[in-house]
Amino acid sequence: MEHRIDPWLLLAVVGILGASLMTLHTISRVVGSNLLLRQLLWGLVGLLVLWLMSLVRLDIYERLAPVFYGFGLVVLIAVLFLGEVRGGNKAWIAIGPVTLQPSEFARLATILLAAAWLAHRGGRALRVGDVTIAVAIVTVPTLLVVLEPDLGVALTYLPVLAGVLLLGGLPRWVWILLILLAVLGGHASWQYVLKPYQKDRVLTVFQPERDPFGAGYQVRQSKIAVGSGGAGGQGLGRGSQSQLRFLPAQHTDFAFAVWAEATGFVGGTALLLAYALLLSRIAKVALTTDSRHGLILAVLIGAWLVFQVVVNLGMVLGWLPTTGVTLPLFSYGGSSLISTCAALGVVQSVWRHRLVNQ
Amino acid sequence: MMELREDIGPLRRRTAFLFLLVFATLGLLHLRLADLQLVHGAQWRDLAENNRLRRLPLPGPRGWIYDRRGKVLAENVPSWELLLFPDEAENLDATGLFLAQAGVTDVPTFRDRIAVRRIGRMAPLVVGEDLSWNQVAAIRSHQSDYPELTVVSRFRRHYPYGKLTSHTVGHLRPVSKEAVEADPRLEPDSMVGATGIEAAEDPFVSGRAGERWVMVSAVGRQLGVVSEVAPRAGHDVGLTLDIELQKAAAEALGERSGAVVALDPRSGAVRVLYSAPSFDPEVFGGRLSRSDWQALQEDPLHPLQNRCLQGVYPPGSTIKPFLALGGLAEGLIDPQTTVYCNGSVVLYGHRFRCWRRGGHGFVNLERALTESCDVYFYLLGQRLGIEGMAKWLRRFGFGERTGFDLSFEAAGLIGTPEWSRQVRGAPWYPGEAVSVSIGQGPVLATTMQLARAFAILANRGEPVSPYMVAAPPETSTFEDIDSEDLALVTAALGEVVHGPSGTARRIARVPMAGKTGTAQVVRLQEGMRANELAPELRHHAWFVGWAPLDEPALVVAVIVEHGGDGGSAAAPVAAQIVEAYLRQAAPTADPPPSPLPVRTPDLPRSTESAG
Repeated sequence: MEHRIDPWLLLAVVGILGASLMTLHTISRVVGSNLLLRQLLWGLVGLLVLWLMSLVRLDIYERLAPVFYGFGLVVLIAVLFLGEVRGGNKAWIAIGPVTLQPSEFARLATILLAAAWLAHRGGRALRVGDVTIAVAIVTVPTLLVVLEPDLGVALTYLPVLAGVLLLGGLPRWVWILLILLAVLGGHASWQYVLKPYQKDRVLTVFQPERDPFGAGYQVRQSKIAVGSGGAGGQGLGRGSQSQLRFLPAQHTDFAFAVWAEATGFVGGTALLLAYALLLSRIAKVALTTDSRHGLILAVLIGAWLVFQVVVNLGMVLGWLPTTGVTLPLFSYGGSSLISTCAALGVVQSVWRHRLVNQ
Repeated sequence: MMELREDIGPLRRRTAFLFLLVFATLGLLHLRLADLQLVHGAQWRDLAENNRLRRLPLPGPRGWIYDRRGKVLAENVPSWELLLFPDEAENLDATGLFLAQAGVTDVPTFRDRIAVRRIGRMAPLVVGEDLSWNQVAAIRSHQSDYPELTVVSRFRRHYPYGKLTSHTVGHLRPVSKEAVEADPRLEPDSMVGATGIEAAEDPFVSGRAGERWVMVSAVGRQLGVVSEVAPRAGHDVGLTLDIELQKAAAEALGERSGAVVALDPRSGAVRVLYSAPSFDPEVFGGRLSRSDWQALQEDPLHPLQNRCLQGVYPPGSTIKPFLALGGLAEGLIDPQTTVYCNGSVVLYGHRFRCWRRGGHGFVNLERALTESCDVYFYLLGQRLGIEGMAKWLRRFGFGERTGFDLSFEAAGLIGTPEWSRQVRGAPWYPGEAVSVSIGQGPVLATTMQLARAFAILANRGEPVSPYMVAAPPETSTFEDIDSEDLALVTAALGEVVHGPSGTARRIARVPMAGKTGTAQVVRLQEGMRANELAPELRHHAWFVGWAPLDEPALVVAVIVEHGGDGGSAAAPVAAQIVEAYLRQAAPTADPPPSPLPVRTPDLPRSTESAG
């Protein structure tokens, strides 16, 4: 038996997209290209993809997962050699008039494979061998993305792994070990991997006045933009921070700051509520499905989206370092938008087929 | 079905826990949003306002300075200046390097400038002046990389006559940091008058600064003017100075050190005020450190000293006319009083020599002045006594400031026993009074004082106060001097130039009267001749006089440092200036200078131009 697409989820998606389009319209002149038209096009394509993906049955996703995953890895490798460089990252592939960011799509393939694998192995607690497999599934594409190097997108693969381990069920000592490993790994990457400017960004979070015109500049400008929005906002297209270009990356990473500056606490709250609605509908899907596979898919996708929302807003609001993680459905970018819509389509597939026995 | 449900149960629990966490996190983010926007919204809004607004100080142009004929002595010329907003810079070191590459400044100067001048008021600093078009283009093309830099068109002070007027018109200096911090109306780069007219008339000449608030983008591009308070230009000043005569003075002095003051005795209007060596006033006009400045300060010839007003010298024989008037008035001598000069006289157990070794023979007052007989005045001085001489010298303005417009004027000195006790802390020797009678020993005067004293003679006793900008209030009452005495002395001073044995007969071609003076720097040893001395120990040469003879219109006082004999070294300088003056087509009326100075000497023009 098939159900309709969840109208509440659709409402949340359309609401966020609408706010995004309004925001992009006000800064098109500043950024210097017609963002509105392109994002509108991507949005319509995204909704279409969402609908198409929701039609596909779960067992098909399960069967096709290895194919998607393999294809994803091939493209991630290909982009390292053939990709276009933008902003220092070799992360884009041009297909005719459009350029796509394979790392955004490979993440969904990773989720599909991880979910299929986890559902297949049943309810037993994970063993060391299982953990190794789970880590491998997620880490291989992650490392390929790190090589691009697109740290922001690579980070968004981590919640997938966390979700798999949480759902798979680990003995307590493994969690302790993992936390230890994370601390050690964090220390090691601080020592050997992170570049000085990246370290600056992290330090700036703890001491915002450390370097107000260097690494702290972006965060400071973002906080000024959000804060100056006040209760009711300065009005769309009237925010000085965004209109006078003090705000960096305002159509991508800091898009929420433009919105908060223009619409104030009222608009910010509305947008946060839309995300809460979106996530609660995903939670509803996860908690009502009878399918083990469906639950896992919904949770992994939800974990990824909530990670992006929290990390991005944490950065815009000055709590987290600038990492280049975008706000899903809101930041400008076709690949991110369509892959998010596709993931939501998968969630809707779980919803529509929730009573279908596997 | 049952099996499946049980199987999925733990997963649901974990899922529920996970989403609980998610909503808690979203709640925290919402609290953060409320904190930023509702609790501290106003503060962030202020920051946003400051972010986009920039205050550009607009310096008020200084007034121009003209000479009596409207020749420009100080003006403003356009200059591209580079402003730095240090608070907006991301990396000041990078900015400094960029400017060094563009050739605008060098890194140490740049750093110094910021360290010394930066004040906590978001005020911009001038880090480049007089930029070339290429430099402006280089900076503008990198504007987006260095939004903290702005090129503005401003004015720079320019002195068309340069060294010729540097002691008169003066120069500017950057205002002190203490003053900037105390007065919010001052900018860190404000310039104020340091010396000369620029300093004396600073409140009048300096403009009032304005300001402009502009909206700028993050790359420093000016988007529009939010508000503006227009600057007000300072007032122009017209001087009594005559730049043509000033030129003649400089040419006549040539390479020698010395001072020339010339004034109109009828009004006190100063026509020439020239001190040599001079310096380029624009060395000080810049705000950036220049090594030339150091060199000027360390120059052994002290080019920064204004010798006309600050240089005090023994006046030598130039004070003899005043002592003669004193002697006549006190009845100690009369025109027929005769003294026999055999080249020296012994007084108080000490032999005092006349400059003419063989002596002058019998001399009366007229010959004593014309040929500058020292023995005559030794004896007169002995009769007048130091108090008597001091009284008569003071009557002609020695020992006190003339009150001339420019600051840092020296008062000179008239040594008395009282002064000796109080200031010198040594007993007074009667022999010192004898030295004073020929302008040596504890008597010092400035060139300006001598010019004024002779102006009184030229005026037939009318007192006068020298001025360059505004006529001073009426001079203090002056005891009448007997006109017969005056006529006698002035006639003798005419003979100094035109008499067959006058000490200044070398310039007899010029219709002037005056008095030479030769002031010893060191006492000559027995049998030594003056021209055998080392250059820096040679006598100072004086000449003070007026022209024309009957209707004096110009008093000239000249000192040539270490020039030797007054008649041969100083008198020709005065003669050249007078000749230049006489050559000038007597201006029927001063043509109105264009543009008309706002402030002109408070003097009827008819009197001014009568000469």
